Amino acid sequence: MTGTLPTGGLPTGGLPSGGPRTGGLPAGGGRADPRPAPRSRSGELPRTVDAVVVGAGIVGAACAHELAVAGLSVLVVDRGPVAGGTTGRGEGNLLVSDKEPGPELNLALLSLRLWREYGDLLGPGCELEAKGGLVVASGPSALAPLFRLAQLQRAQGVIAQTVAPDQLPAIEPELVRGLAGGVFYPQDHQVQPMLATAMLLRRARVLGGAEVVTGCEVIGVRRGHGGEVSGVVTDRGTVATPVLVNAAGTWGGQLSRLAGGPVPVLPRRGFVLVTEPLPVLIRHKVYTAEYMANVASDDAALQTSTVVEGTPSGTVLIGASRERVGLEPGMDWSVIARLAARAVEVFPVLARARLLRSYSGFRPYCPDHLPVIGPDERVPGLFHACGHEGAGIGLAPATGRLLAAAVTDRRPELPLTPYSPNRFGADDAT
Amino acid sequence: MPPEPMPPEPTPPEPTTPPGTGPEEFQVRLDGRPVPARAGQTVAAVLLAAGVRSWRTTRQAGRPRGLFCGIGVCFDCLVTVGGTPNVRACVTLAEPGDDIRTQQGTGWPLPVPASGTGAAAGTGAAGGTEKAAGTEKAAGTAAAGGTEVAR
Amino acid sequence: MTGVRRVDVAVIGGGPAGVAAAVTAAEAGAGVVLVDGAPRLGGQYYRRPPAGSEQLSRGRRRHRWRAFDGLEARLEELVAAGRLQVLPGTTVWSAEGGSPFLLRTRGGDRDPLAPVGLLRARTVVLATGAHDRQLPFPGWDLPGVMTGGAAQALVKGSGVLPGQAVVVAGTGPFLLAVAATLLRAGGRVVAVVEANTPHRLLTRPSELLPGLGRSGQLAGFAALLVRHRVRYLARHRVLRAVGGDAVGAVVVARVDGQGRVRSGTERELACDVLAVGQGFVPQTDLAVQLGCPVGTGTDGGPAVTVDDLQQAGVPGVFAAGESTGVGGAELALVEGLVAGAAAARRLGLAPAVDQDLLRRRQRRVAGLRRFADALHRTFPADPGWAQRVDDATLICRCEEVTAGRVREAVTGLGAADPRTVKLLTRAGMGWCQGRICAEAVDRLCPPPPDPAAGTARMLSAAKRPLAVPVGLGALAAMDGPGPDPGHPGAGPAGPSAGGSPGPRPLSTPDQPRRDQEGPTP
Repeated sequence: MTGTLPTGGLPTGGLPSGGPRTGGLPAGGGRADPRPAPRSRSGELPRTVDAVVVGAGIVGAACAHELAVAGLSVLVVDRGPVAGGTTGRGEGNLLVSDKEPGPELNLALLSLRLWREYGDLLGPGCELEAKGGLVVASGPSALAPLFRLAQLQRAQGVIAQTVAPDQLPAIEPELVRGLAGGVFYPQDHQVQPMLATAMLLRRARVLGGAEVVTGCEVIGVRRGHGGEVSGVVTDRGTVATPVLVNAAGTWGGQLSRLAGGPVPVLPRRGFVLVTEPLPVLIRHKVYTAEYMANVASDDAALQTSTVVEGTPSGTVLIGASRERVGLEPGMDWSVIARLAARAVEVFPVLARARLLRSYSGFRPYCPDHLPVIGPDERVPGLFHACGHEGAGIGLAPATGRLLAAAVTDRRPELPLTPYSPNRFGADDAT
Repeated sequence: MPPEPMPPEPTPPEPTTPPGTGPEEFQVRLDGRPVPARAGQTVAAVLLAAGVRSWRTTRQAGRPRGLFCGIGVCFDCLVTVGGTPNVRACVTLAEPGDDIRTQQGTGWPLPVPASGTGAAAGTGAAGGTEKAAGTEKAAGTAAAGGTEVAR
Repeated sequence: MTGVRRVDVAVIGGGPAGVAAAVTAAEAGAGVVLVDGAPRLGGQYYRRPPAGSEQLSRGRRRHRWRAFDGLEARLEELVAAGRLQVLPGTTVWSAEGGSPFLLRTRGGDRDPLAPVGLLRARTVVLATGAHDRQLPFPGWDLPGVMTGGAAQALVKGSGVLPGQAVVVAGTGPFLLAVAATLLRAGGRVVAVVEANTPHRLLTRPSELLPGLGRSGQLAGFAALLVRHRVRYLARHRVLRAVGGDAVGAVVVARVDGQGRVRSGTERELACDVLAVGQGFVPQTDLAVQLGCPVGTGTDGGPAVTVDDLQQAGVPGVFAAGESTGVGGAELALVEGLVAGAAAARRLGLAPAVDQDLLRRRQRRVAGLRRFADALHRTFPADPGWAQRVDDATLICRCEEVTAGRVREAVTGLGAADPRTVKLLTRAGMGWCQGRICAEAVDRLCPPPPDPAAGTARMLSAAKRPLAVPVGLGALAAMDGPGPDPGHPGAGPAGPSAGGSPGPRPLSTPDQPRRDQEGPTP
């Protein structure tokens, strides 16, 4: 799984890649090296810091923010630009509705609370919006499990309102008629993920003195006599640090191997379709009950479900496909046609809307569908904060908070055990 | 190397149809009022010939826009033709009887606010009837065991 | 869904390059389809009204049309003989590699539900042309401000003058062509405002020689301007367009060698149209989709990299005309001929063009390229623009993003490249997908450390999976069931019982085809 880099600047972690580096620049249907000009905000890397966060996506930004606020000197490095990886490919969903009861939902609920705080800290520019999520079922066979899930979620504190078929049009007037019913989740939020990332990093910089260096690739990790992290080697120099935070998202598996503490994070590709700007035809995030089954699936083959939502800019975003095809960035029009077909089935009005663009992104997938957060017992000083699959934007603040607690040896707001990098067997971590 | 024959120059051709058989003339409508047009003219050309320089306003600032790139690249000259919003006036040939409408913002009709309950929460003037019929039909199939619209 | 068309050569673009390529390949015996978005062939240069309404045009046909007329006569013969098919009013929105290539097409904008067309081709000739290059200035979004190409297209294609009083501004010899078109159609040109110093060209006689024909043509334009007493303001630049609901005047000023305004030289020119352009930007969307190498042309814009057979780096793909770097109509004709011959030869056919002639043509290409390069050096597009443009100036017309917001993303939010600026500001995310503002956004970003990085980030911005928007309903109809939906070999795709789709083959080998062995009849 090396070689081609994904489209348009996806890489987040500092990872050696077999992809083309310079010169020649074959466009390669998305195979050109997308990395932009290296550029350092500070000009030079600091010699020594309390913590190096690898990855300037939303999770890295949240970790850096929480660590900086906790008083640590932090350096964020990224091979690509700010929010250039999966963050820049996401829709910005902060969902509780799609979370299985248990540790992931716990993380989502904590995150939701923290996102509201972040919303106040960052201001309206990050476009945080309590848009609400509506999960619909096409037939009774899909409705029953949806209701069961909602019941379990309620027990964990989620607000989940059962919606009868005749109430659906009042919530979403353009929804196709004849659905079996649904569940409405008023706590589901949306944020503009790229802006939120950039604003969080700015805040970490301004308030906490964090440094952010983009276009800087990690090529090695220094270890002390006890095997502990002692420094990070980049293509722009070496930084001494006792703490390395792996927030490299989809590339977190590669970085973890470089650091000597492998975790099984794999890319799971998804396409997003973007329509022309429309009036507010779709008010909430609307998805079909099948989405949950696909999220929870381990199947490598293509799975599609219908996820449709409007954005403040007017464009409607359509997903969601999941397939494990490595880091293959090319367009696959059969997948895109299927996503379009399903969106039009649920919202017939969309048939006449035009697709302006489509892009693929890579979710950092973990076999047990839980993120990897916390200290790696194999390598003292190595902390992971990756593997959030499609929920990284939503789970970022809680991840940052728990990670910072682990680094600073404070009591975390949730037990870390379910997310621990030490939960994998030797066979998983390849 | 001797220069080869000069390249042709971008000049319109001379008339090739016999005199007296003038170009086909017809009318289109702009926001309901008749505007003359000739076969082969783009919608943008018809509007400009009628002295109309702008036919849409932007989503954010409500600024007037008209023809810009003229060859279908910039999408600034969007206009509603025959009920379809966001048609490029510069590359769309006018046709007899075209119902051309200036447009605001996204160009789409504004949705009716979600209020009331059930299917009565309409779907906008255009297509309301159609939707109502669709609702009935869909409701029927739902009663018969549900339509798997969302696979 | 319409059926799948299978051809030997698909030529995309019906300008001089595309027509020359299509005719050459078809005369060699290849089965050719020529796809063009316009209702009638000719491209931007030989633009005419659709057949049957020629009398709309006001000017007189001149002898210089002969080269194209000759080609078109041959094309009509080929069409009549069933050896070449023209698909007018058809746009290729996606090109996918493989054997054969798969092109997806659509018709006009009127019906977003119109089915997607599929074209399978053993070779592809990209002759996708170029559009006017723009650098924003205050007021450039006012109605009445349009590109030089737009003004010309109105006159040539629809027989309509863009307005009563036109200022033609920007840089490059095309400004003269626009002014000439307007004058010949009976229009009034207030002034031609040229930012550079055209007579510098005369200091490079060796580069001029190959372009002698074009130089003569330019001299003819200049004489026409004199005859009509049109002011020609060299080394002058448009500072802003002014007006309420539409442009009423432009303010121009004399500039020094760095493009800085000389104080006291500002003047206002009343007009109702400003036709403006800074040269051209090649259309490279389909080349990038196909994976062809795209580099930076001498004018700083993207250009498909081709060899002396017009091969575009991917076996079976050829490019000709402006998409390989802006060079004018004659160069496009010659490149098209070379590309058409090379495409035929790749299919095992012998082009009617003999080898000696082909070699001479290739040398001619080289000479005309040198001339085009000389023009680009003489008429650079405002190198100091990024330093001068003020924060209030609109950069992205679609999403209404100002220069100030782009700069804020760069200095305040850490964006160092156009893609990050796009993600943070929406500049380039609208209807045109950055086709108009890409260069401006790129220039407002920190400069790339080296030319390769510059090309990389230009390419990143040039990556567009759709060459033109497509209706979701039309896309949805590509999804099975059906014998040949949007993907090779995809079978019927009915819902499975559980409501969740079963695994579906993403890619299967293409079906064997009858025409695998030789050219289509």
